[in-house]
Order: sequence, then structure tokens, then C-alpha cells
Amino acid sequence: MSVLQHLPLGRFIEAASRGSRQTKQTVQVSFIVMLLMAAMALFSAKVNAEVPNAVPPEGSYSGIHVEQPIEFPHDTHADINEINCMYCHTYARRSKVAGIPPTSKCMGCHSVIATDKPRIQKLTEYWENKQPPLWNKVHDVPDFVHFTHEKHIKRFVIDNEDLEVENVSEVCAFCHGEVKKMTVADKVKPLTMGFCQRCHQANDGPSDCWHCHK
Amino acid sequence: MSFSKIKRRDFLKIMGWGGVGATLVGCDLPTTVTLEEGKEKVVSYLMPEEYVIPGVGVWYASTCQQCPSGCGIHGRVREGRVLKLEGNPASSVNKGRLCQMGQASLQAHYNPDRIAKPKIRRGSSLVDATWEEAYGLIAEKTANISGSKFAWMTGSVSGHQSVLLQAYLESIGSGNHFVHETINNAVWAKVCQDMLGDSNPRIRLDKAQSMLSFGADFLGTWGSPLHFSTEYAKFRTSPRGTLIQVEPNMTLTGANADLWVASRPGSEGALALGIANQLVSKQGLSMSGLPNSVQSLIRSYTLDETVTATGVDADRIADIAATLKRRSPSVVLAGASAQGHEHGYQCVAAAMVLNVILGNIGKTIESNGEFAYASMAPVSGNTHSLVSFSQAAADKRFDVVFFSGVNPVYTAPKSLGLKESLANIPFKVVFSHFNDETTAMADVVLPLASTEEDWGTHVAPYQAGVGEISIQQPLMEPLSTETRGFGDIVLTLLKKRKETAYEGFADYYAYLRNAFSTIPAEHKNGASDEQFWTDVLAAGLIDVGVKKTSLKVKGVEFDMPKEMGNSSAMILAPSARLGFWDGRHANLPWLQEAPDQISKVVWDSWAELHPSTAKKIGVKEGDMVKIASASGEINVKVYIYKGVHPDVIAVPLGQGHDAGFSRYAKDRGVNSLSILDPKVDKMTGELALYSTNVKVTKAAKTDDVLVRFGGSETQVGRKLVSTIPADVYERTEGGDHVA
Repeated sequence: MSVLQHLPLGRFIEAASRGSRQTKQTVQVSFIVMLLMAAMALFSAKVNAEVPNAVPPEGSYSGIHVEQPIEFPHDTHADINEINCMYCHTYARRSKVAGIPPTSKCMGCHSVIATDKPRIQKLTEYWENKQPPLWNKVHDVPDFVHFTHEKHIKRFVIDNEDLEVENVSEVCAFCHGEVKKMTVADKVKPLTMGFCQRCHQANDGPSDCWHCHK
Repeated sequence: MSFSKIKRRDFLKIMGWGGVGATLVGCDLPTTVTLEEGKEKVVSYLMPEEYVIPGVGVWYASTCQQCPSGCGIHGRVREGRVLKLEGNPASSVNKGRLCQMGQASLQAHYNPDRIAKPKIRRGSSLVDATWEEAYGLIAEKTANISGSKFAWMTGSVSGHQSVLLQAYLESIGSGNHFVHETINNAVWAKVCQDMLGDSNPRIRLDKAQSMLSFGADFLGTWGSPLHFSTEYAKFRTSPRGTLIQVEPNMTLTGANADLWVASRPGSEGALALGIANQLVSKQGLSMSGLPNSVQSLIRSYTLDETVTATGVDADRIADIAATLKRRSPSVVLAGASAQGHEHGYQCVAAAMVLNVILGNIGKTIESNGEFAYASMAPVSGNTHSLVSFSQAAADKRFDVVFFSGVNPVYTAPKSLGLKESLANIPFKVVFSHFNDETTAMADVVLPLASTEEDWGTHVAPYQAGVGEISIQQPLMEPLSTETRGFGDIVLTLLKKRKETAYEGFADYYAYLRNAFSTIPAEHKNGASDEQFWTDVLAAGLIDVGVKKTSLKVKGVEFDMPKEMGNSSAMILAPSARLGFWDGRHANLPWLQEAPDQISKVVWDSWAELHPSTAKKIGVKEGDMVKIASASGEINVKVYIYKGVHPDVIAVPLGQGHDAGFSRYAKDRGVNSLSILDPKVDKMTGELALYSTNVKVTKAAKTDDVLVRFGGSETQVGRKLVSTIPADVYERTEGGDHVA
């Protein structure tokens, strides 16, 4: 299972069809694939458990759906086109905040890609007006909590020799859920102190008050 | 109980409580703040600078403007917001340190009471206006004005702001520039000028082995406090220098002294002469360099005479003289409480005479050199200008007056009648960050950009042998689109006066860029103009050197009045603190919240009284007293403290602002400057701040309590800090105590 789910879906089907010359078998394999997908959807929390050397935090939350100025499709970028989370959220490994990518970064691709799509036209309008879109914040912790992306990426990605950096989204999913299956992000993890604390205990994270409250 | 007996409603109740119970467990209660999805905006950069990472601070160099010392600062900027200030280690003034006033500069910047729009007087009230209207009105009122009818009152000023300000005065043909600072060294500067030929000599605390300070609070308000704090640290190390402080009420410097002597205000000069007498008669030093009249003056201050004039013990006076002789080289300083008398000049001169007798000139008091560009050199403020301005206003000499960096309606004693005489000035323009006592009298109020939003160049008034120009650069975008930088305003005013020389500069930034391109190549290290400018901004300063000068000791004759007025009357000491300064920082909550260095009082005014005096008046801590001078009265709570002369009641500066100033300073304490008599030092014209006789009586107690940090003044027998008498220490441990 673990090997399969790390293979991007499109390639897996292609490999399966190439491996069998009989159509019937292919259909059967496809059926199995569909079952697997259903299983993956059902046990998405279990999917996340596959980050090596890490115990993922438990808990879920059903946040309100926050409308954004542009309905940014995370799925198109991170899932279908397999763009690494850290390509756009480039500050995550360098700073306490992951950062919304600068508009110039969006336009780096979208001055040529998909320029006929209404969402891209809206983006181009922002760009030409020299105004970045005002995104609505979905994931937030109170001001008295000092959360840093940099430390977490270091622990679970950079210092984690067994993790391929291509799979960083599994680490992001600890706190953000499977964003690559979403369009605009929704909050699906509680991000309460208990949620943080249990993960810190399970992964030998610091437990002093001042690590987060300073 | 069977299932059938549970009603639907009960079932829901149980489930409801169960649900709440589950949520309350541990730390999983989601607070409202954690549930704020979609409440805040998050804005990305349109196109980030290469070095900008959101969440990671970038430090920029600038210059502090909280007091006239001109310390270099570094400001941490994140996501376009300045978050923290520290000292710039490259600055020779503060060497990387920053005081609490500097730290609190952020609160002036982000202050909710900042003026956000220009205001113009319509009848009895000030109403919002546009900059065009304000500039138009100023142009109209100054169109045909004669130079003598125009005046500009500022705080201490230097650098290119000073250049533009002078250019504006010249464009009108006016020489009326009044530079006012309540906390100043004006008398010291005059004495140094007269006796040493240099108004601003370099003080080598680091070279001195002992120091006698007559009220010079160099750790708090004297000269350049941060600079002298680092110099003081050197003074106190290997070998440890001895500090003797003489003052009417204890300052931060006094609290650090080895020997603290309480002086009746006005007697400092007599004490200095008495010590001089001891040095000559008992310690074998020569006073041959002094004029005959001063020599005979010193001879007249015998030990008995000095004890009578000062009330200080004979042994103590002899001890101080012996210590200064033994621990040579020494240095003798004089500050606010020594200069604040009608004979203030003489008191400071007597202190300087000690330096001459002790041979300190050229050893611990050196020439400091002169800043190379006279037009940018610092112009330091004083109170003489406040007195003469008040007189000129009363005489109806001015038609148009500008005020910037000053709040004279607050700092002027009521007895000067300034507030009333301002009515004689038909058109008053106030440049200010905040509404205050002076903007309330204005006809036009021009809202200034904060220190953190503005461009500028500054030359610190006290620099140790270097000539640094310190850069002030914006640390962030202005918070309000309707405030303007001081330089920008003056530049616009100059353009409105059709001064063609300034038409090429789009703004003050362009003016400064141009000014820096004209700096002689020898200071540029071969860098291009662009590179030089970038280097200066990154460093925060550039040292353009000083013209070498030398000290020339000159014999100055002076006398010392034997009669010190009514010696039984109480004297009011309006002491200054590094905090509120002259009252300008009372609107910064951090400084209100920071306990006073001496009394630990927060958010309030207080009067320091000696226990014996308090007993006489019949008050205890927290009781209200009425302090009445010939010029007015204030009611204030009492703090009983041994570090104050029994004849003195000390009320620190800063509080007692009018309601319009700030939500944080509103209805808080009293302004001790307000009841001072209009006495001045006869030689310099400086306000005699420490010479107002007052009557102190018990007043009706109010519900208001005196809030202090820290509880008891005693150790309640717990030996928290062990002490040992000096003679026991010498006998058992050996050692070298102050005597």
C-alpha cells in the first residue's frame, strides 16, 4: 500500500495497463484501483501516517468554508501538476510563517499558462493594478502562541533522512489536512493546544511553556 | 432505571453536558481566537525584495529622536512594520545601547493619539483641513511679513533640518530662532566657554580616578546619558573610581555614588569653594592660575565658613578634598541642581575652579574639537530662550511664530505668562506629532511624520572626539497618509516662498541625496555616489571628522553671594528623569508603567520629602500636601525618603498635562514647572529651576493612593543585603573606602 499511494495516480494506472496485455485484467486492476482510492479517501488520516520517523497528530475539525478573492485550486497545482508545497510556500523552511507566495511568483507561470481562465484573468487584473489579492486567513493561532514553520519543517523534512522531499505534503498535512485535494484551503485540524501538545509528546517535541508562549 | 424512563429532553440535556465536558478536557477547548477562520486578511508581497522573508526581521539603521542626545539606533522591521529598536553599536554616542525612552519611541510612532490631519483654527476650535489649505494660509500670512515680526521656536536641532530651517528664516529675513530645552547644560557650556575657551569639552570619565558631581545626573539626564553610562562603566573598573555626588535630591547617579551629600539648593558653589580652600590649605595644591579675586574668595571659605554656608559636616568637607587629591586625576562636574539659581553661573564656575586647582584640565577635561560643517552643527536648547520669547510675546513683537519640537505652554512656568501672551501673536503654526498644550493655542497644526517614518540627518551635541553625522531613515511606510516629514514641510515652505534654489528637489529625500553627493571625496573611500549613499544608510552614520581645537584656561572673576535668601524656607526641586524627560513622553504608556528609578512610583506624580520634614508637617507616605509658591500651588501625594535634603521638596517633571495631550497622561499628577518663580541666573539668563521658595502644608486626603512598586524600604531584619561599617571593614579586611 505504501508504495502505491506514493506513486502519483496517473502513472500507476499507466504502469498497470502496460503490465497486462489483457483488457479484462486491466479493467479488474482499474476496479481494484478504484477500491483503493475509496479506501484512501476513507482512511485519509491513515495515509498521513506514512511519514517516516514521525507520529502524526490526531484529531480533526470541521472549519467553516472561507471564501477567497480568487478560488485558488490547490488540487490543480499540488496534486494534478505535482508542484511541491514549498515551491510556492517558499518561506516555510526559512521563517516562522509559510507565507502566501508573492503575486510575482503566480505571474511567473501565469503570464503564459492558462491565461484564458477567468481566475487567471482576475489574478492578472490584480497584478496589473499592482495590488496583491487580500486573502482571508484560514489557519491562525492566537497571538500568544509562537508557532514556527521553520522548526517543524526542519524536524520532519530536512533532518528526516528517510523522507523524500517530494512527499513534503504529507508533513504539511499533519496540521493542514490534505490541502492538495482541496481547492481553497479549509481548516480541518483543530490546532488547539491539546492537539499540539499530544504531537509534541509523541514526537519528543519540547514541552516547556516558553517554547510556544513567549 | 430503565431506558424507557429517560425522557427525550433529559437525554438531550445529558448529551449536551457530556459534549461540553468532552470539550473542556485538557487544552482542547478551542478559544474564540483559534476559531477565527476568515477574520483576518493575509497579504502577500506583490514582488518581494530579495532579502525579505516574511516572519524574519531585517534591521535598518536610524537615529533616535526621544531626547537631544542623538543616539544611533537599529530598528527591526518585519512585514513592513517596525517592531523593536536597539542601539547601533557603530554609533560613538551610545555604542549599541538604548535607554527606555529610546525603546518607547515605538509607542510614540504607533500612538493612537497622533495627529492624522492638518488642522486650521476656525473660531474657537481647530478643524481638519488639507495640506494645500494649510500651506496656502501660511503663505498668505508670511507673504509680506518683515523679518523682525517672524520667529521660530524649536527644540535642539542639527543636520540638514537645521540648514533648511536657517534657509527659511533667511528667506523671511528673520534672525529670531529660539531654541528651547528645559533639560540642558547651558550654564555648564557657558562656564566652559568662558574658562576653557570651549563650550563643549570632552569629559574623560574613563581616565578619572575620582569624580565629584554637583547635581550632574550623567546616568540620567546630564549631557549624553547613554554615552556617559558606558564611560562610567569604565570609570568603575580597574581600579574602581570613587564617585561623590552632591545634590538636593537623589538622582539615579546619586543612587550609584559612594558618597552622597545632600545640599541645600544654592549652596553648591559655597561647598565647592570650601573644598577648594581645603585643597589649597590642607592638601598643598596651588591656585596660582586663578585671578586674585577668586583666590581671595577661596581663602574666605574657611572650613567654619563653609560649614555655616552649606550645613555640610566639617569632616565630610575635609574628606572630600582629601579623596579628590589622593585619587587623582579627578573630574568635577556640575548639572541642573547646581546651575538652577540666580547665582547658578557662580556655582558652576566654582566647580570648574576645582578642576583647575586639581589639575584636571587637559587630563580628564580635554578639547573635543569642532564639528567641521558649521551649518549642520548642533544648536542646543536652553531656557533663556523661553524667558526671552515670553517677554517678546508679551511685548507684541511677533506676528507669525512657528513652533516645532517644543511644547513651551507646558514647560514655561505660569509666572512667565506665556500662555496669555501667545494671544498677542496673531498667527501661530505648530509642527507636532500630538495634540498638546501648545497645539491647543495654534492657528495651524501641521502633523509630523514620526521618527520611524521620516528622513533626517543629525549631529549629536556631545561626541567624544569624532564628528559623526547620524542618518535618520524611515523604518516603515507612514501610518497616516496625511502626516509629513519635518524636512519635507520646510522644503515645501521654501518653495512656496519662491526660493529657486530648492525647486530641483522633489522631496526632502532628494535634497538629502544631493547633499550626500556633495560630501568631499575624502569621506567616500572611493565609492560611487550610489554606493556611498548605500554604505552610509547601512552604517547609519558617517564620521566626517572634527577640526582640532585646544583648551585655553582663562581666569574668570566671579563672586559668591553670602546671603542665600530665606534660609528657613522650603525649596522646590523640579527634578528631571530619564523617562518623561521634560514631560514630552508622558503619553507613552511604557514610560508611565516603568517604576521611577528612585521612588518606584508608577502612573503618577509624587513629592519627595525627608522623614524629619514630613514629621514636622505631619504627613506620612501617600498623604496629600499643598505646595504653594508665590506663583501658584499644586497638590500632590508624598513619598517619604531619606535621599532628599530636609529643606527640599522634590517633585519630578513630566505629569500634569492638559486633557488634550493624551489618553495616557490625562488627569495624572502635577506639573512642578508650572509654579516656579520667574527667577533667572543673572549671568546667563537661564531659568533658575531650583530657587523657588515654597510653603508646604498638609492637604485634605483623597481616595487616590500612591502606587509604588516594591514594598518596604527596610530589610525587616532579614539581611537581604549585608552591610558592614567602613571602619570595621578597614580593620578586619583592609581596603580603601571613600574617605
